[in-house]
Amino acid sequence: MMRRFFKRFTWSHFIISTILLILSFMILIPILNLLAMSFSDPLQVHKLSGLDIIPKGFSFINYEVLFSNPLIVRSIFNSLFLTIVGTALNLFLTALAAYVLAKTEFVGKRVVVVFLIVIMVFEPGLIPEYLLVKDLGLLDTYASLLLYKTINIFYLFILMRFFEEVPDGILEAARIDGAGHFRIFTRIMLPLSKPGLATLGLFYGVYHWNEYFRATIYLTDPNKWPLQVVLRQFVVERDNTTLLGAQNVLSYEQVQALDFGSLQAGTIIISIVPLLVFYPFILKYYAKGTLEGGVKD
Amino acid sequence: MTQKGIFQRIKKDWVIYLMLFPAILYFVIFNVIPIIGMKLAFQDYRVIGDNIWVGLKHFKVLFDSPAFFDVLQNTIIISSMKIIFFFPIPIILSLMINELRNGPFRKYVQSVIYLPHFLSWVVIAGVWISLLSPDSGGVNVIRNFFQLPTLDYMTSKDHIRWVLVFSEMWRSAGWDSIIYLAAIMKISPSLYEAARIDGASTLQQMRFITFPQLLSTVVVVFILNLGFFLNAGFDQVFNMINDSTISKIDILDTYVYRIGILNGQYAYATAASLFKGVIGVVLILSTHFISKRLTGKGVW
Repeated sequence: MMRRFFKRFTWSHFIISTILLILSFMILIPILNLLAMSFSDPLQVHKLSGLDIIPKGFSFINYEVLFSNPLIVRSIFNSLFLTIVGTALNLFLTALAAYVLAKTEFVGKRVVVVFLIVIMVFEPGLIPEYLLVKDLGLLDTYASLLLYKTINIFYLFILMRFFEEVPDGILEAARIDGAGHFRIFTRIMLPLSKPGLATLGLFYGVYHWNEYFRATIYLTDPNKWPLQVVLRQFVVERDNTTLLGAQNVLSYEQVQALDFGSLQAGTIIISIVPLLVFYPFILKYYAKGTLEGGVKD
Repeated sequence: MTQKGIFQRIKKDWVIYLMLFPAILYFVIFNVIPIIGMKLAFQDYRVIGDNIWVGLKHFKVLFDSPAFFDVLQNTIIISSMKIIFFFPIPIILSLMINELRNGPFRKYVQSVIYLPHFLSWVVIAGVWISLLSPDSGGVNVIRNFFQLPTLDYMTSKDHIRWVLVFSEMWRSAGWDSIIYLAAIMKISPSLYEAARIDGASTLQQMRFITFPQLLSTVVVVFILNLGFFLNAGFDQVFNMINDSTISKIDILDTYVYRIGILNGQYAYATAASLFKGVIGVVLILSTHFISKRLTGKGVW
């Protein structure tokens, strides 16, 4: 049986596997503990220790409360909207630039590439960016979040590598048949680069789903907040006024009976679930893309 | 090519320029304009009318301010701690994972240790606040089991920097091991075969083959880390900082956020971030060239 797990059974393999198993528990147990907390009965949750992964009693009450809260529900939809629209916009504009840079020759191409590398090194400061968004009148609009990092230069270079693999012969044939660049891009390049686009879509998607900082600065209207901002206010800042203020389903006594920690745990779990759903795909594409885009020879 | 030829080519390729236009427009608006906006560091900000040039005034205030030096010191200490204590971990991890057979157990280990990389720092802060909670957090449950007194890590000045180092490990050690694993995969199997014939044990193979072969990747990653030395981890600190620990973990980026966005001292904050940016660019460029010289690999 052991032979199935190790190349050859030796004590060093046994020790290494044990260490790795313990490390994996160190990552899983805190997360599973929060999951258990969120499904525990609020009256019994105090009996749950920080190492337990089985709920004490069982109750959906935390999720009922969270999903009956208009602010939370609103923020989930805001996050989904920002992630889907943001990723689509990112992908389209990045692919457009990647096609031009990977597959066409034109006067000034070198200048553009140097320009991109220079921009990659000089990261503008927080304040000028804030003032720019303010001057453009984008404060308190989703555009402020959607337009920031629309094209990540690092990702652009990764997509260029995917595009370069599309055989030139196909593009040449299309050109002879009279297709213009835009037609080649939409009809040939995009369909043939689905794996590359999927990889990048996941990169951008994870980025949008996890974005909270710019939303914290740029959005003052709580109804526009994405889930991560609500999560931050509720879990990190421990500020439940906005959250409970928006609560119109429960009576004061019911609110009193709830366990604050369990509600926080539930909020964390809600924000992790979409990632977990996509995790197998993320792992498959992200790891590959990162390796290919990593330190270059 | 003649002047006329260039213009004809540009005219012929107008579709290409049109397709590139959104990207260029975007970079000019969201990258170039803010970079030019850094000139604010040499001005006084006016809500109405033009800003006034004040030369190095803000930098003088900056360098005379003890708060700035505390923040700079914190940044350097936290970055150093991360390099010293965090940097070797992914290497060790990759060596250990490499010893596992390509089976379900290895898949499990890799999937689990990569996972935290995809969680936002808000989520991770939430997980760690719960894990370190004095009430029933996992760490204090273990401490109590060994008869140690309960400790509130998140508000402890003596421990908070270690919380930063360990939570960084929790989040990134697994993911960072990927790059070393990839390097290990590229090592020729014949080296191991030869060593086995000579009777080398697993540990000896690790020490005399895997590690030396890995060294150039280690050097590149180390040098790159140095290049980002002043980024001590904004998101992490931003989500783990509180009033009791601010003196120990307030770093340059959180300082700029606080005095700039929260206090509205735009020009002064821009001066602080320009200082950080200039040092950062110098570090990145010099490490890039050192890396090119030493290993032939660079940042781009």
